[in-house]
Amino acid sequence: MTPATHFAEREHLICTVSRVIEEEKSYWVGGGGEPLYSILLAQRLYASGVQYMTEDGVIAPQSMMPWDPLMTMVASRAGYRALQWGTMNTAGNFAQLGYVDVGILNTLQVDRYGNINSTVLGEYEGGQGRRFGGPGGADTIAAQCWRTILMTDQQKRKFPERVDFISSPGFLDGPGAREANGLPPGTGPWRVFTPWAMFGYEEKSCELMLMAISPFVTVDMVLAEMSFEPKIAPTIETLDPPMEEELEIIRTQLDTDGQTTGRGQWIEKRDGKYVFAETQGRE
Amino acid sequence: MEILAEGQGAYLPPDPDGFRAWVRDNKPRTLVHKMMNEHEAIEKFVSDGDYVAYDCNYFQRGPSSLIREIIRQQKKDLWVCGKFTYVALALLVEGGCASRADIGFVGFGPWLSKAVAAGRLQTYEYSNVVMTYRLQAGAQGLPFIGVRSFGGTAGFSQSGAKLVKDPFSGKPVVLLPALNPDVSIIHVHQADVYGNARVFGTGISHVDCALASKRVIVSAEEIIETDEFRRDPARTSIPHFTVDAVVHAPFGAYPGTVQGRYASDVQHVVECFGGTMRGDLQPYLEKWVYSINSHDEMLEKRVGWKKLQELQRRETIREGYSI
Repeated sequence: MTPATHFAEREHLICTVSRVIEEEKSYWVGGGGEPLYSILLAQRLYASGVQYMTEDGVIAPQSMMPWDPLMTMVASRAGYRALQWGTMNTAGNFAQLGYVDVGILNTLQVDRYGNINSTVLGEYEGGQGRRFGGPGGADTIAAQCWRTILMTDQQKRKFPERVDFISSPGFLDGPGAREANGLPPGTGPWRVFTPWAMFGYEEKSCELMLMAISPFVTVDMVLAEMSFEPKIAPTIETLDPPMEEELEIIRTQLDTDGQTTGRGQWIEKRDGKYVFAETQGRE
Repeated sequence: MEILAEGQGAYLPPDPDGFRAWVRDNKPRTLVHKMMNEHEAIEKFVSDGDYVAYDCNYFQRGPSSLIREIIRQQKKDLWVCGKFTYVALALLVEGGCASRADIGFVGFGPWLSKAVAAGRLQTYEYSNVVMTYRLQAGAQGLPFIGVRSFGGTAGFSQSGAKLVKDPFSGKPVVLLPALNPDVSIIHVHQADVYGNARVFGTGISHVDCALASKRVIVSAEEIIETDEFRRDPARTSIPHFTVDAVVHAPFGAYPGTVQGRYASDVQHVVECFGGTMRGDLQPYLEKWVYSINSHDEMLEKRVGWKKLQELQRRETIREGYSI
């Protein structure tokens, strides 16, 4: 494969997540956008047999391409050639039974303990905050999949010390809190990916831990776009850039009009280094 | 049972005995002809103050024509089951029909922040699956259901859920109040005149909605003979005795898609979605609801046969949809 020389940071994010997807694991992918593109890309390049389900009870589809971003559920293209069609409780039951290894989700905000907010920015009480759509299926995904992967942008406001509203559970207040609130043991946040970095969690404290950064940023740049100081792994890896073959699939089959990946900054290779680009947008 | 924590949100109180009595007194056991037009169905079976559930949403096999009819009839103070819904709640709130919602997921945008801030919409927080489990409990005639999710969230605090000590294991478990809506509206692929109905493809909670609700209005793309059901009984999704009204509504999910039948009208979806993002849905409601009298008239005057044929052509997938 050929390393790309000009790409959007969200394309990079999708490529990074697609490479951690394992064929032997089962996935529940929330909504549309980046989480779905990551698994669809993995199916095409890295894990052709990997199975996923969606909230409307579509089990292991071979979705029709190009992807239709408006119709991600209860729609024929998204559920094409599935092994089973059920309902929302089909998906909920499979996860509650322990059949789903990994959930992949987008989030508005994530905090030190991996708690997820998709309900309100600002105060909930009094009704003056800026309201969002609510957890959707994410609460169940985050509670019951064995592991959760979160995807979000690297921005200070997206990484508060404490989310404004816990729509879906991370580790809540820390070790033991999930179990004390009735969630199944052995589950919880596993990774947070942004276009700039990959985070895991320190096992003992359940706190967010920086593990790797993208080739076009420094650790300081990542930390400057967080409202709290995360734990830092002893060695910080550098993530690979996207490959041309990956971008080709994203641009011709997945996010064909750039609705998802077109936002955010663009990166280019200049003098042998990856830097923020002067030219934005697809060439 | 020891209660460890409980939400402070209002909720429709579960009453399984009351529901059984309702079923005994109101649901006919024989095959009764239930065909009526959308006006009659909504007028007869949706009342001000009702708790209303609909399956799927305005863009995906939802009962869009019936949602528009509710708005046209200016029903008031509805409490909406906001699972897996995008713009339908926005339309109902901006149309002055809904004032409360249990939220799983709703299409957000300035309309939502404004409605909540102005006190026009009171929200209670759940999640999609938590809501469909509440409906499942309602569909089983139970007072509550235990789940292994939702605990510890802020939504839990704004809901009717309780965290209790499981009397069997002694471990904490979340209990959700069962949900028995006053009325459910469900769009299906096929129905007969008595209310037997078939849904093909995935759905959110259509069977549980039908079983859990006091009143059920089904709108159907196609009315078929009862003999068709008898020839292939395994494909019956909803049995006739749960249904109160059957409305023949070809393109009833428009502007949304019905799997295997027609694609969504992208231009219309964008127009509607745009209204929620601008926080102004009045022009949309005027054009698509208030200024016309019926679904048929809307199809004829606002959409046109050419567009409808195009939507049918664009839905190329047939496998699994019995067509």
